[in-house]
Parts: sequence; structure tokens; C-alpha cells
Amino acid sequence: MTAAAQPSKQRWKRMQRGMTPWWLLSAPLVILGVLFVAPLLTLFLIGFQHNSLLQVGGWTLDNFRTIFETQSYRHIAVTTAEIATATMLVQLAFGLPLAYVLAFKAGRWELPLILLLVLADELNPIVRIYAYRVVLGREGIINKALEAVGIVDPNHPISWLLFDNFAVVVVLSTSYITYTVIPIYASMKAIDHSLIEAATDLGAGWLRRAWKIILPLSAPGIFIAIILVYIPLYTEFATPTLVGGTGSYMLGQLNAELITETGDLGQGAALSALLLAASGVLAAVAYYLSRLNRLDT
Amino acid sequence: MAGRQERLTLADHPRESPQVATMPARVRLQRMLPSIASVALVVFVMLVLFGPIVLLAVLSFDKATIIALDWQGFTTQWYREMWANTNLRAAVLNSVVVAAIVTVISMVAGTMAAFAITRFRFHGRAAVAGLVGAPLVVPWLMIGVGAAIFFFHYNVPGLFPLSLLSVTAVQVACTFPLVTAVVAARLARFEGVQEEAAIDLGASRLQVLRHIILPQLTPALGAAAIFAFSWSFNNFEIDFFVGGYDQTFPVWVYSELRRAPNLPIINASSTLISFVQVLMVVVAWRLLRGQDDEDGSSVVDALP
Repeated sequence: MTAAAQPSKQRWKRMQRGMTPWWLLSAPLVILGVLFVAPLLTLFLIGFQHNSLLQVGGWTLDNFRTIFETQSYRHIAVTTAEIATATMLVQLAFGLPLAYVLAFKAGRWELPLILLLVLADELNPIVRIYAYRVVLGREGIINKALEAVGIVDPNHPISWLLFDNFAVVVVLSTSYITYTVIPIYASMKAIDHSLIEAATDLGAGWLRRAWKIILPLSAPGIFIAIILVYIPLYTEFATPTLVGGTGSYMLGQLNAELITETGDLGQGAALSALLLAASGVLAAVAYYLSRLNRLDT
Repeated sequence: MAGRQERLTLADHPRESPQVATMPARVRLQRMLPSIASVALVVFVMLVLFGPIVLLAVLSFDKATIIALDWQGFTTQWYREMWANTNLRAAVLNSVVVAAIVTVISMVAGTMAAFAITRFRFHGRAAVAGLVGAPLVVPWLMIGVGAAIFFFHYNVPGLFPLSLLSVTAVQVACTFPLVTAVVAARLARFEGVQEEAAIDLGASRLQVLRHIILPQLTPALGAAAIFAFSWSFNNFEIDFFVGGYDQTFPVWVYSELRRAPNLPIINASSTLISFVQVLMVVVAWRLLRGQDDEDGSSVVDALP
């Protein structure tokens, strides 16, 4: 530090001294403590207690035991994992090339397209879900159009479009596409173009360039997308309720039902706590992998 | 001289334009294939994302009460019926009031946290940043369920019944971290250099805030406010679990759809709400892009 800079630094420090960061953080931390940390801790606390219409109070492991041992719950967990994984794969299948196009090919369309992706996320989720019902239903636009062309018999419309796994995967994919594409796009945008040019000059085709350069270098973005998208997919409840069928009953719905309909707060809390813990572990792994990858490159 | 010029031109276009015109059609098509595929992908994704919403907007002006391909005639009847529906009006008003209050509190708390995290170095800074960021990754269902059980179990309903008040409180906790993220991204971009310079020249703390920090921060604050409002307005999970008997707009649509739905009114209200949301996002976008950056990276930085 030079002599000339000394007084300004000192004066700057003095000005900051009166205003400690903890004073600034007081309100945010109180809000988070009471309305975020406490409710989440309550989930773990109540999860280990009886708290249903039959019995309230007393420590127990029954809630967790019931969740793990009930056959139908296990079935629901498997369905949820299948739908979440299928949705994530669909999003990566469209999101990776879309992020690539945005980062390298879109030119003057780049920002307008990102604006559209942001917009897709800011539209009301329930309205969006409803809009897909209008398109996919037995009386929906797709069936009506196919009937008009004569491909589909009006008495036997295509019924698997709505109230089945297909609709759940389609609607969930559109709900999270913003959070899949933007992180991947951001990490692709950071790729040094000279690497790609060098590979081209050395004779690498587009497939080789994508596989050996672009995909590995955008891995941190992919892991962030997984944290932001794959984990919340396990807790979806409005979408499967409104466009799913009996075969696409998911853990989020079970959780909501236990609390709002069955009134078994203990089991509901235990299930939430399990989902929370599992998502914490998954997030930590994905975060660790994203860091690891960034160090490598 | 002429020869040299020619060499330069050739070197500038090593393998592009000169040959394109003379290429056989098949090869030219092969060259164009990637761009065709790109356009097709973008068009398909945007069609799937926005087609249904555009369709709702069109249907909301159609006389037909069921979904039909043939146009039955233009009408604004559904918008008039929507306006006459007192439940819907109350729900939209509830959502707007909650979102407005949540936005104001989130702006204050979020900006405070952003300043603390970006302008100070202190013990526990990383932990605080992690805690403030956590509500952005914890699913709203968990927060909603946790808050509902929390309020029930500690018999908060006795003195603090589940209502718009509890919705507002819990929404603040999941919305202000978004403000922190947007504002902190902006603060990190202009560091402390100008503030130090102003202090060197004898500016008071208030003057620094008024003349240095605020002007640079205003666009980010505006955008953060719009996104906070939008997050609160759209937050179905929190509304559903801690709203008690009070209905917000997303909860109204949800329960309408679960009963025998009055589709034309849902069409009309959805169209109107979506239209307002489009306008808000465009304004937020212009604010974030407004100042110095041409590449929009601040927008990407600011995304949660």
C-alpha cells in the first residue's frame, strides 16, 4: 500500500466501523431464523413424535418406520423417482442443445430468447399447468385437431395425453426449463473460444468438439442445473395433482395429503424431513462435483 | 501490390464465402443443416412453452364454452363475468396486497443482507451467505409444510391464525434472498472503488449512499422488486399450506380446477394476469440491461 492511499483506507475503515455487518444482518437473520430455520427444524422434531388424530405426544420412530415399510409408499417413491428422472433427462436432452445454440449460434437472438426463458418462469405456475390441460385433454386441442384431420376417431380420443405420466413429464419439463438452460448456458458462455477453434483447426468434427470440449467444460453448469431442478422435482405436488393420474401419484402429493387430509402431522413431518435430508445430501454431492470439475479445467 | 492485396483477402476468408456460391447444392444443404436444426429446436421449445398460454388468450375471446377448433365469434363476455365474480376478485386482491407487502419487506431485508455480504469481511460471512441462499434451493413445498406444522404445533393459530398474515410472513423468508442475490450481483460489479474515491473527496456517508451507491443500484433494485413481486404472486405452495381459509389467485385457480371448473372465466383471468406478468418481466429486463453491460451478463448473474 502506498503512503498516499493510507489516509483514505483509514478513513474508509473508520466509516465502516460504526456500521457493523451484524447490524445490517439483524433483520434478515431474524426473519430466516423464525420463518425458515425454525419450521424446518420443526419437521425433524415432529417427525420423531406421535402427532396424528389418534395420538399426540411421545417420542417415537414409528413415523419413519411406517414410511419405509408401507408397500404403497415405496411404490409412490419409485414412481416419483421415475418421473423426476425422466423429466430431468427430457430437460437435458432439449436444454443442452438449446444452451449451446444460445451461447454460440443465436447471435442477435441470444438475449430475446433468454428473456423468453425468464418469462416462462415468471408466468403463474397454476395458470401454465391449466393451459396444458386445455391442449392435452381428451377434449383438448391436440385431439380436436387430429379428429378434424381424421386421424383420430372422435369416439376414441387419445387418452394418454392427459392424466397420465406423459402429461406430468411434459408440464414439469416446461416448468423447470429456465433453471436447466440458464446455468448450462452461463458455463458454456465462459468457454474460451480459442479452445474450440484449436480443436477445429486440428480437424475435430462437431461431435468430437461437443463431446471432448463443450460438454466437460459446461459440467459445472449441468451440476448446478441438477441442484436447481432435479431435487425440487421430487417434491412436486400441484402438477401431478392437476395433470397426473392414479399411476403418477408422487411423494409431494402424499406429503400434502398426510397433512391436509389425513391429519397425521407426525408422518407428514417425517416424510418432509426425509425429503429434505435426501435433497441436502444430493445437493452437497452435486455441488462437490461441480467444484471438482471446475478445478480440473 | 495488387498480388499482396489479393493474398490478404484470401487469408481473411480462409474457407468461407468465395467457394459457397460454387458449391454443389447437396454440400450447401449439409453446411446449412446445423442452422436449420438450431432454428427448429428453438421454435419447438418456444412453441411448447408459450403455445398453450397464447391458446388460452385466444380462447378467452371465443364465444364457445368448451374447447373447440372452430371460432364461435368474438366476445368480451368472459371478461365481464370474470369482473363480476367476487371470489376471483377477492383472490386477486389478496395476492396483490400480499405481494406488495412481501416486496417492500423483502427489498429492505434483502438489500441489507446484500450490503453486509458484499461490503464487509467478517467471521461467519460464508455461513451467512449460505444461510441466506438456502431458501432459494429448498423446495417451497418443504418450507410450506414446515411452516404449517410449526404454526399448528406451537398453537400459533390460537393467537396468529393461518391467514394472509402467515402467508405474508413465510413468503418474506422465501423471497428476500432473491433480492439479496440480484442486489449483491450488482454491488459486486462496482466494488468499493468509487465509494472510496468519494470519501477521499470528503463526502459524508449519507452523500455516498445518495450520490454513488443509489444511482448505480437503482436499476437492480427496480428489477429485484419486480421479481420479488412476481415470486410472491406465483407462490402457490406457501399460499396453499399456510393460507388457512384465505384464498390467493393461484389457490383460487387450483381449487376451481379441482371442482367443476368454470373454464371461460379461468381463461379470461389467466390471460389478464399473464399479460400483466409479461409487461413486468419486460420492464425488469430493461432495468437490468439498462446501464453499462451490453452482453446481459448481469441478468444471468442475477438469476437465482
